[in-house]
Amino acid sequence: MTKLDQSARVPSSSVRSARSANNRRGARLLAQLGVMAAAIVVWWCGSISLPEGVMPSPVATFGTLAQLATTPPFWTAVGETVWTFLAALVICTVVGVPVGLAIGSSRIATQSTRLVFDFLRTIPPIAILPLVLLIFGPTFEMALVVVVLGAIWPILIQSVYAARQGEPLLQEMSRSFRIPPLWFVARVFLPGALPFIMTGLRVGTTICLLLTITAELLSGAPGVGSEIADAKNFLDTPRMYAYVLVSALLGLLVNGAFWAGQRRVLRWHPSNRQENAA
Amino acid sequence: MTIATDDITLAARGLGHAYNGREVLSDIDFEVGRGEFVCIVGPSGVGKTTLLRCLAGLQRSTAGSVSLRGQEMTEPLPGVALVFQDYSRSLMPWASVARNVELPLRANGARRGEARAAALRALTLVGLDEIAAQMYPWQLSGGMQQRVAIARALAYQPTLLLMDEPFASVDAYTRADLEDLMLRLQRDLHLTVILVTHDIDEAVYLSDRVIALNGRPARVAEIVDVPLGADRDQVATKSTAEFAELRARVHGLIRGSREATS
Amino acid sequence: MNAARKGWLSSVALELWLPVLLVVIWWVASSQSTSVYFPPLSSILASFAQDWLEPAALVKNLFPSIQILSIGYSLALVSGIVVGTVLGLVAPLERATRPLLETLRAIPGVALLPIFIVLFGIDVEMKVLLIAFGSFWPVLLNTIDGVRGIEPLLLDGARVFRYGRIRRLTAIVLPGASPQIFAGARTALAISLIIMVVAETVGGSGGIGYFLLAAQRNFAINAMWGAILALGIFGYLLNIIFRIVERRVLRWHRLQQARLESHS
Repeated sequence: MTKLDQSARVPSSSVRSARSANNRRGARLLAQLGVMAAAIVVWWCGSISLPEGVMPSPVATFGTLAQLATTPPFWTAVGETVWTFLAALVICTVVGVPVGLAIGSSRIATQSTRLVFDFLRTIPPIAILPLVLLIFGPTFEMALVVVVLGAIWPILIQSVYAARQGEPLLQEMSRSFRIPPLWFVARVFLPGALPFIMTGLRVGTTICLLLTITAELLSGAPGVGSEIADAKNFLDTPRMYAYVLVSALLGLLVNGAFWAGQRRVLRWHPSNRQENAA
Repeated sequence: MTIATDDITLAARGLGHAYNGREVLSDIDFEVGRGEFVCIVGPSGVGKTTLLRCLAGLQRSTAGSVSLRGQEMTEPLPGVALVFQDYSRSLMPWASVARNVELPLRANGARRGEARAAALRALTLVGLDEIAAQMYPWQLSGGMQQRVAIARALAYQPTLLLMDEPFASVDAYTRADLEDLMLRLQRDLHLTVILVTHDIDEAVYLSDRVIALNGRPARVAEIVDVPLGADRDQVATKSTAEFAELRARVHGLIRGSREATS
Repeated sequence: MNAARKGWLSSVALELWLPVLLVVIWWVASSQSTSVYFPPLSSILASFAQDWLEPAALVKNLFPSIQILSIGYSLALVSGIVVGTVLGLVAPLERATRPLLETLRAIPGVALLPIFIVLFGIDVEMKVLLIAFGSFWPVLLNTIDGVRGIEPLLLDGARVFRYGRIRRLTAIVLPGASPQIFAGARTALAISLIIMVVAETVGGSGGIGYFLLAAQRNFAINAMWGAILALGIFGYLLNIIFRIVERRVLRWHRLQQARLESHS
């Protein structure tokens, strides 16, 4: 058998299966586009059947969005929201994760703080918004306080939980090899706790964005949220819808970025694994 | 068989352990000399793992003492390496094989280059190459993962190697391979090994002496010499009359306990 | 006192000492307070008792909230579970609608308030719909995940034993997905609470949110703090009730998880 012969004998089944996988993917994409298109058609129907000005058409909304995207105030508003979101997220992470891990490492601390955390996390941050608004006025600081006080709980509580999820056998292994405490914490404890910490961060990230826009909407602090409220006050429904769309897009972006980041950091985790028995 | 005092690596004296007043081990007395391969056998649940943990310094016995080269073991002492039964949980899934193997060395002060070189050498000894060294443990088969755990112990250059039912979680074929690997390693590196197992065949096949446990609380029934020589083979050795005799003897010693407790 | 009793007492004490200490510190630290925004705890509690513990006031302030919350939440639960089950069972449908669902889910519920006001007005109906819309998503997505995650062997068994479609749903699909559904329901509860408060700030239908806003407008700081406290307690009680129900319904799941953990 010459080399040429062998290459000609590519098994047809693998070609077939690759082709059908592509077909399926194409069909799926088509179906998804179809659903989206149908939704936009429903929207359009709603916009023309409702009284004038109540619901802008998809065309008007996207048109307004496109036009807004060329103006600086739009990007300022988006920037404010993103900035508040990021600042809050960083504070929540930098405070919540280490404190949570520390508390979780001690059974006494965990039990002592359980009631307090449980209670504080159920208070909707909206409740303190009026108070904080009175203290700080409709500013970035006010939004930051509200968001942090609302979003820190899932991060904190999940980190407490994460500290207790370590594989006990790895602890034994570290003890038997006399691995010093700092090495253990850095190389064994933290990587082991990371998947659980990420769960808390995922929820916390979503809440950060949600609360940022909510706080802006309700208080007038600068950002996408206040633009929505502003548009409503001027009965400028296309602009209102456009900014609501922007908030959804921001949500999708943040979500997507988080999942991409998580997949990278947790490359080794069973949920991301492709096992190859070597 | 008495060992010269200089050559005693591990000595257990009157070792006993009780949980909440319930005695699990009692009056365990034995010595392991340098370069010996000793197996501790007993039925499941007799307390072998408890004994091993006391020997490793992971827990303090409630009675008696363990000493490593004359130094009493109240906590894990340098020079003792442990291989666990559950390899998948004792290896860090987020680190490569090489990183797993070199961790004890680096944590104990070795420099990065040296640690990595030692790790790769140890991996070669157990039959894993550089490609495997870069993979995650869970990408390897069970037998290979256990080899990684063994390499980790070897890289540590231990005075004493303790193994807790290391081959109980792999299939029979892999087990035979790993047993032969251990024989080879022990002979070539002059390791001192204490291996705990419930498999009598394995215990007789691998060791110079077998410590048979039985009873509740577990005691040393007898320490059996295994004069089967240095060249052992899975088929040839296991079909000799001597092997059968030794196996029967150990079996009887352990079975005695079952009748007493059932 | 025997060991078990002692153990129980000490674990209760362990959980209570910090909350009690914090309250005491708050009381003492604020007792001499002249700050406008942080009045003495004693006056806050007085306000709280007046607005939320006295039966007539309780009915007036709390019942509107309970009303819209329960209707909105129930709507979200039922529709979320129904749609989620359908999507979970019909995989191609779920794949096709996923982008749309993800986009709709990403819209902050509160951001829809202006839109809902324009569409539905500022009365009770709008608020119920907004709560339902916002809390629908976690229930939906978790139900989908739960249904898809059912052990395939169970479904195979249903086919072999020729279960009818309804029996399959009630005996296997819904119970199997219930842990996930409950997780979604818990998140939905938290979201409902937030949307409820926000929705009550418009219109005049009363409720905690309305009270909070009114207190802010009137600069009644004590009343505002009282409302915050009331909201916290209300949410906490809801969570406790939720947990009790969950514990009952998911007893089998907890035990199974504990069993699995002890085996590994």
